Amino acid sequence: MNVLPDSDGAGLRAAARRGLRRSRDFVDETPPDALVTVTVAAVSLLAAFAGFLAVSSLTAVPFAVFLVATGYGWLRHQELTARVLTLTTTVSTILVLGLILVFIFAEAWPTVQYATVNVFGIPIPGLRLFIETRWSPVTPPIQYSLVPMIHGTVLVTIIATAVAAPLGVAAALFLSEIAPRTVREVVKPGVEILAGIPSIVYGFIGFTILSPWAADQFDIVGQGTYLFVGIVVGLMALPTVVSVAEDALNSVPESMKSGSLALGTTDWQTMTSITLPAAFSGVSAAVLLGVGRAIGETMAATVMLRGSPGLTKPLYNVFYGNDTLTSLIAANYGDADGLQLSALFVAGVILFVTVLFLSIGSQYIEARMRRKLGGAE
Amino acid sequence: MASATDTALVSEDTSETEAVAAGAVGLAAVLFALSLASVFELVTITDPVAGVPMVALLGGLLVVLGFAVVTFGVGSRLGYVATDPRPTAGLVASTAFGLVWFVVGGLVASQSLGFGTAGWVIGALVTGGAAFAVSAFPREDIGSTLPAGGLALFAGIVFLTGVIGPSWVWNLGWEQQASFNAEFTIPVLTAFCSLLVGWAAAKAYGGFGARGRHVGAYVLVYLNAISIIALLFLLVAFTVLKGLPGLFNGFAFGAGAGPEVTLVGLTFSLPVSWPFVMNGVALLNDVNGVLPAIAGTIWLVIGAVLFAVPLGVGAAVFITEYADRGRFTQVVEIATNGLWSTPSIVFGLFGLAFLVPRLGNQKSLLAGMLTLGFMLLPLVVITSRESMLAVPDEYRDASAALGVTKWQTIRSIVLPASLPGIVTGIILGVGRIAGETAPILLTMSGSVAPPGSQTVDVLGGFQFQSAPPFVTNPELMQATSALPYQLYSLITAGVGQSSNIGAIDEFRWATALILLVVVLGFYAVGIATRYYFRSKLQHD
Amino acid sequence: MSETRQTTDDAQATTDSELAGGASPGTDQPLEVTSGETRERTREEWVEHEFEGEAKLSVSDLDVYYGDDHALKGVSMEIPENSVTALIGPSGCGKSTFLRCLNRMNDRIKAASIDGSVQLEGEEIYQDGVNLVELRKRVGMVFQSPNPFPKSIADNISYGPRKHGDLDTGLLANLLGRSDDDAVDELVERSLRQAALWDEVQDRLDDNALGLSGGQQQRLCIARALATDPEVLLMDEPASALDPIATSKIEDLVHDLAEEYTVVIVTHNMQQAARISDQTAVFLTGGELVEYGDTDQVFEDPQSQRVEDYISGKFG
Repeated sequence: MNVLPDSDGAGLRAAARRGLRRSRDFVDETPPDALVTVTVAAVSLLAAFAGFLAVSSLTAVPFAVFLVATGYGWLRHQELTARVLTLTTTVSTILVLGLILVFIFAEAWPTVQYATVNVFGIPIPGLRLFIETRWSPVTPPIQYSLVPMIHGTVLVTIIATAVAAPLGVAAALFLSEIAPRTVREVVKPGVEILAGIPSIVYGFIGFTILSPWAADQFDIVGQGTYLFVGIVVGLMALPTVVSVAEDALNSVPESMKSGSLALGTTDWQTMTSITLPAAFSGVSAAVLLGVGRAIGETMAATVMLRGSPGLTKPLYNVFYGNDTLTSLIAANYGDADGLQLSALFVAGVILFVTVLFLSIGSQYIEARMRRKLGGAE
Repeated sequence: MASATDTALVSEDTSETEAVAAGAVGLAAVLFALSLASVFELVTITDPVAGVPMVALLGGLLVVLGFAVVTFGVGSRLGYVATDPRPTAGLVASTAFGLVWFVVGGLVASQSLGFGTAGWVIGALVTGGAAFAVSAFPREDIGSTLPAGGLALFAGIVFLTGVIGPSWVWNLGWEQQASFNAEFTIPVLTAFCSLLVGWAAAKAYGGFGARGRHVGAYVLVYLNAISIIALLFLLVAFTVLKGLPGLFNGFAFGAGAGPEVTLVGLTFSLPVSWPFVMNGVALLNDVNGVLPAIAGTIWLVIGAVLFAVPLGVGAAVFITEYADRGRFTQVVEIATNGLWSTPSIVFGLFGLAFLVPRLGNQKSLLAGMLTLGFMLLPLVVITSRESMLAVPDEYRDASAALGVTKWQTIRSIVLPASLPGIVTGIILGVGRIAGETAPILLTMSGSVAPPGSQTVDVLGGFQFQSAPPFVTNPELMQATSALPYQLYSLITAGVGQSSNIGAIDEFRWATALILLVVVLGFYAVGIATRYYFRSKLQHD
Repeated sequence: MSETRQTTDDAQATTDSELAGGASPGTDQPLEVTSGETRERTREEWVEHEFEGEAKLSVSDLDVYYGDDHALKGVSMEIPENSVTALIGPSGCGKSTFLRCLNRMNDRIKAASIDGSVQLEGEEIYQDGVNLVELRKRVGMVFQSPNPFPKSIADNISYGPRKHGDLDTGLLANLLGRSDDDAVDELVERSLRQAALWDEVQDRLDDNALGLSGGQQQRLCIARALATDPEVLLMDEPASALDPIATSKIEDLVHDLAEEYTVVIVTHNMQQAARISDQTAVFLTGGELVEYGDTDQVFEDPQSQRVEDYISGKFG
């Protein structure tokens, strides 16, 4: 399968020739009417997609043709149709990711362009989004700075990670290595179920209970603090971190743990010197997953924060909370249009790209761990 | 070398010194509980407990604890207590103590003594360095007890002498003002000190050394696990308690109690009347309810499942069964994992940009369904692929050896065998999307408190016409409500919009509870089936 | 274990004992079914083994249950110091279970319950207040499949002593100038030489241990166990996963170890047991210790008919 094109043209040409040969074989081997059916289905589906993109009311027509063609194919040439259908679904899945990328980038572009700055004569699009510090979409001078929201997201994420990572990993250690079997059998599914508590419920409790309490306790003007949003988001990510980290710890072979214990080490020494290092990648993937959750968490932040973009003073003052990237979108999409709406999409792009990198990073770490531990199992 | 630390195979019966250490651990636990109680304002710090004001009690206990731990450490160093300490408390403990005392020194120098920047930096460095040295250089018994016990002694004396008394307030002096008051500071400091001292006492109980570290760490790990479980449990229990009254307001049970319904031409009364889930919001209702939101959630889930499951399972079949492992499958895997971790608000933005303009240019149920379908898709692909990979290759080979075509093998061997995994994945995914607010906020949100007449009826909404697009369904093309969105709008709505609802607070909590029940219900069913099939696999 | 095979074994055993005549004197031999293999009943004198010197480990009336499964039935035996004791028997006879009782590794299996007494130099190891860490320092163990840690070779060897606090190579120790780096080097070399691995790995002590071959990994595990300076070394079929060359190296090694250590080795390879051990204990299906004595005696003149059948390869 590794027909990666070599850097030279010869390899490319060879690959192309091979591909051509394969498709010619396919055409030769397949009965003509099956080929026609599949082609009709593919073309009509493409047409339907194009119609949908172009907001045409005729979209239904090619879609109906597609349904008829696949229906016919299913009855007469099930083998081939199934294969083509599953291929189509795979392509659609990738297409969804592609469409998300294209659309949010396209919608974000006007603001990026608006925020162009010339540095030594070279125009750098979007730079003003990051060097100004004021979000002011209505009153002139109109500025769409994302700095306050990035600041908020960073603070919330740091606090949430500080809560979720150590507590989550310690709890995972407890569940996987220490807890008696009966406790684990009850608590593990319980934790997994609690991972499902909707974020709006956390937000609601934070809004009605925590925020007033904090405002009173710390003598803050008004409600909404990054500190407590961070703690709530951290608690929300906690079950996910526990559950994933527990799986990673559990996958460390028992023989390795027994080997350490048989040398006369304590359980705690075995955990810290053998089990945790061996499961390090899986555990850090769990933490990264938690961080991703914290960055992307919307509702708790939207409900609990003030919704008035700005930097806290001083910058490390976590007792005030203005807006995060997510809450900015959720709170402003309604009355935003034009450039302001486009600025919300820029926030979306930042979120999307950051979390995508985290996801790819954790997959890379996990793959490396599997390779490394591969010899031990 | 090895004989330097020979210990007995069988330890003596619990000695008196061990009992002292165990007592210290227990006292630290009591102190921790007391301070938690006052953080959550179950007891205020000026309330008398056993005749003593709370502050004095906390301070006094801290002094006792700190003294006990220091005595134990010194006693062990002088050989009065039989322990098995290492030459040093270790780098981690020393650094932690150094940092704690760095902060203490800095705060005392800047706040209490009023030194300037240079002064507090020097003060912090000196105390921090001293604490590091005390824990790193002497033997472990001194190194791990002295800094911890010393901190507890110090804090206890500060509380007892009233340097931090009940009326103490520390204004941070920031531009946006915030301050610490005694009500918060004293219990939190006490809790922190009791953790440190509790850990040191647990180490002493284990006789320091490897066993002591083991015991000390276990105390903290157990405490952490218990707190997390208790906290999450409290969260759910609290919501249930607050929500129950509103949920069962006007609940009646008995023949003919419920509203009349017409099914297949027959009209009869339901035996249950449950206004909260059977009514919408209206001015004349005795009890207002969330029926439109429940119906909206159900239709959302159905739509998302109808969209995502065929696509997701199909894609999983292709990459697992047809495609060769290589670049292509890798790209699909990265794409699905990337999609899975994409923040839900980004899906909402995508729906807003891609679906809304193409579906009648307004927020609609269909746009919400598709957006949630996009969210569900990667989870269906991932879990289906996992459970298909778990089907042993022998099954496929055996089937292929019988001359059965590939698709027949997939249909009659692979899919049935992986069905439990796929179903579990779908249920869990449905639980997640049923609780999502952000995407539907941007793509289908309707009015804040919809009346019962706005309950969406998709099946009855289909209309056929001769011009393209031939089939329309206004119900699908309209904005509607869903439970999470309903809760959100209830929280953020101003008084005017929710004036129809009398007891707004009760109504909110009931909505939160029913949302929790619906979502956790999906999760519970999904996880129960997963464990059921897993244990079945293990026993076979 | 199919039903049919057990019956054939049964039939064979019966005919054999009838043919042999002398081995089962009909008069005082109660014919009761005690296990699947024969109707012969275990006699106490078969498991009495006389030896000179001290008993390192003495086990009496040890019963082990895994849930409802009675895995070991009333086993009693004494294991002499500085010798090799082989435990042999068919699969599932409880010999590995027995071995894991000697350093309480069975505590890891939560369903297991243990009843009876095991004494290490006269001290009971199944009583309250036993320091498991100390016990396992003195009674080391090598497992069936090699289980090196995913660390360097040198770190694998020094792991035990470092965790016991006997050697300190931490950052703090380095700063304070009391690091035991030299002692570690010395220990690594000595242990690896003892395990006959030094020549093969001396140039790559910092390489990951998972990169070694199976036989090397197993000898590394032996070296790792020796580095903690145990008195007793338990080996659970240490050569079962290895090729013949690696196996013979391990066998030589075991032989040499007996000068300093008390070695208890489980094996299902009878030739191996005969080659390396001083005394042999035979466990048969059902978790019973059937015969225990000098290796020569057990292999050449077994007292139990079942043991003779097992040794001559009629079942197992």
